Amino acid sequence: MASSEEALMWVEKYRPKTLDDVVGLKDIVDSLKAFMKKPKTMPHLMFAGVPGTGKTTLALAIAHTLYGPSWKNFTLELNASDERGIDTVRERIKDFTRYSRTGFGENVPFALIILDESDQMTGPAQTALRRIMEIGSRTSRFILICNQSSKIIEPIQSRCAIFRFSRVEKQAMKEHLINIAQKEKFQLLPEAADRIVEFSEGDLRHAINVLQTTSAYKEGVIDEKTVALVIGEASPMLVQKMIRKALYGDFIEARKTMYDIVGNFGFSGNEIIRQIQREIFKMSDLTPQQRADLSGIIGEYDYRLTQGANSDIQLSALIAQFAKFGKNIEEDYAETN
Amino acid sequence: MQKQTELLWVEKYRPKKIEEVTGNDEAKVLFIEWLKNKRHTKKAVLLYGPAGVGKTTLVMAAAKEFNFTVIEMNASDTRSEKAINAVAKPATAYKSLDSFSDGTNKSIGNILFLDEVDGIAGNEDRGGVNAILKIVEKSLVPVIMAANDPDIGKLRPLKKVSLLVRFQQVRIPLIIALLQKICLLEHVKAEFEALERIAQNSRGDVRSAINDLQSLSGENHSLTLQDTMMLHSRNKDISIDETLRRYFSTQSIADTSSMLAFSSVDYDDFLLSVADNLPKRYTDTAELARAYEYASQADMFRGRIGTENWHLLKYFFNALAKASAVNPQSYKPFTFITPPIRIITLFWTKNKRNILNNICAKIGEQCHVSVETAKLTFIPYVRLMLQRRRNHPIVSSFKLTPEEVNYIVTMGRY
Repeated sequence: MASSEEALMWVEKYRPKTLDDVVGLKDIVDSLKAFMKKPKTMPHLMFAGVPGTGKTTLALAIAHTLYGPSWKNFTLELNASDERGIDTVRERIKDFTRYSRTGFGENVPFALIILDESDQMTGPAQTALRRIMEIGSRTSRFILICNQSSKIIEPIQSRCAIFRFSRVEKQAMKEHLINIAQKEKFQLLPEAADRIVEFSEGDLRHAINVLQTTSAYKEGVIDEKTVALVIGEASPMLVQKMIRKALYGDFIEARKTMYDIVGNFGFSGNEIIRQIQREIFKMSDLTPQQRADLSGIIGEYDYRLTQGANSDIQLSALIAQFAKFGKNIEEDYAETN
Repeated sequence: MQKQTELLWVEKYRPKKIEEVTGNDEAKVLFIEWLKNKRHTKKAVLLYGPAGVGKTTLVMAAAKEFNFTVIEMNASDTRSEKAINAVAKPATAYKSLDSFSDGTNKSIGNILFLDEVDGIAGNEDRGGVNAILKIVEKSLVPVIMAANDPDIGKLRPLKKVSLLVRFQQVRIPLIIALLQKICLLEHVKAEFEALERIAQNSRGDVRSAINDLQSLSGENHSLTLQDTMMLHSRNKDISIDETLRRYFSTQSIADTSSMLAFSSVDYDDFLLSVADNLPKRYTDTAELARAYEYASQADMFRGRIGTENWHLLKYFFNALAKASAVNPQSYKPFTFITPPIRIITLFWTKNKRNILNNICAKIGEQCHVSVETAKLTFIPYVRLMLQRRRNHPIVSSFKLTPEEVNYIVTMGRY
């Protein structure tokens, strides 16, 4: 990519390009550097960990180290959650590795295939992936990126060197954010940095996005108030609304909101359930017991979603359970008063 | 006649060989065995089964393979004794009449094919059945009959003299495979789910499935699940509204369950419609929660059925029936919400989702994230940045169009 075309999302602008630039993750970086000395010894790799902890960054840094500026010619980036089924994945990998049979030249030992969100693949798709890995392994290496390695089938795990990424430490993240702000000629106040760190729960990508957004609000100094404002305006509102309506017993409105989310934003049933679970634990007007009870209900429907054919039915059923739960809270309250 | 290029796909891809006929393997074996070796045991054969499963196609393919000349009559022809005698008698009296007329034709004889024999009815066809019986008795050549419903009383005399061959609905996976083959040959890019829906909707009727495929894939040679959403259930003898009315007014689970088993509405649409209407039926939150609990169970059975395990359908019906009988006493007639809210919602919001997905694909490519991740951890912030400054540098860096910028700025929070 031409250097004049600067990446203007800060997550890209400040993404480390080489293994040496990576801050933290020392153990992982050291092992990878050892592979880089003799690239042919590099096995397939699996990077597992929560979002925003550097998995993609390290995968791209490996590509940079192996191939230099023309890394894109030898690297296939795929995202399992974007590709429609294993057949597309197979076709794209096949097309890509076809070039490599004739060889890339002396300095390029193999082609690199980075498969992000690989734990989104179904069991059968993973089995097919395993075959693809076997066939392609003479000419290419895979880096599988996932949130949970336990969702990857054993035969694939056993073919990879697995690296686990833990949440970015608070202090390290804080320093990193202050550093970026400085380069962008902003002063990030310590309380403001703390607030971002707290909010992003160890997800550096999310934290940098918050930081960049606050910089659009104010010049010079970024304070806690601005951060709070941005966090407030960016956090999901419809899911909250859906839960509230349901707990107040207004099933019809709650379901209407659900269709707003599904229709306008196209979130999957799984994603909506995940967000409901998150939001429940943010609701301070519920007692810990109530939150736990609701979480139990959510868990049941999270499971049913994997069994059922139609996520709308399961989400509607979940909302109906919430409405019933809300009614019971009301009655308990009336009795005790 | 239609031009060659505008051929209906059902005609274009009608199998020319026996082995190409999709499904109904048992019926095929039985029929071919009769045609090859067993014609002396019964003089005629009656192929019966639902429409569009390949009865006529099999006869034509078999005739071609064994070099029979087919003399065809169908329900649109008059069936009076006079007409039958005029056409059928000469055809059956001589073993091979046509073979002299054309030197290249290696026809080994004629077969008489009477299609849609259950269409024989009324004054016009007076004596039709008896005439056919006589022809079967006197015939020197094989007589093949086809019918959709073999239980019509007046066909009973025919059943006595014929070998009965039963055709069933063609299995869904076979139809899907056939549709995939046609898509390949016609260069149609089709989503698997779309083909699945067409196949399911056809209820084993291959002809209607191919017709739906041709009409839905249209001129742009592509077919998405969305395109099939407005597909109406075929062969519906009662509408979804009528089925809903019966569903909610029936007093026992067993009755509702058997009503569902005999109805021909699309299961998936019906399940959605039931779920849509439950809040109108049950106003009490505890009852509503219970009803949805059953709907949820029904949906899980639907998931397990998939496209293969149709024997589980009875459990699906049973779970669904339970949702109708949570509190039978409280039933009052009400107006139904149809068609399913989901289908309508997804239809009207298709454009919005497409724009958002395109934006997220641009973000995803540059920032190495999936579309879903872009929606969750980029869009809320990109939206705020653009609201502060419409010409923010990220606009040109993501190559966002003015329409896309406008969409992001005006979109609500999720």
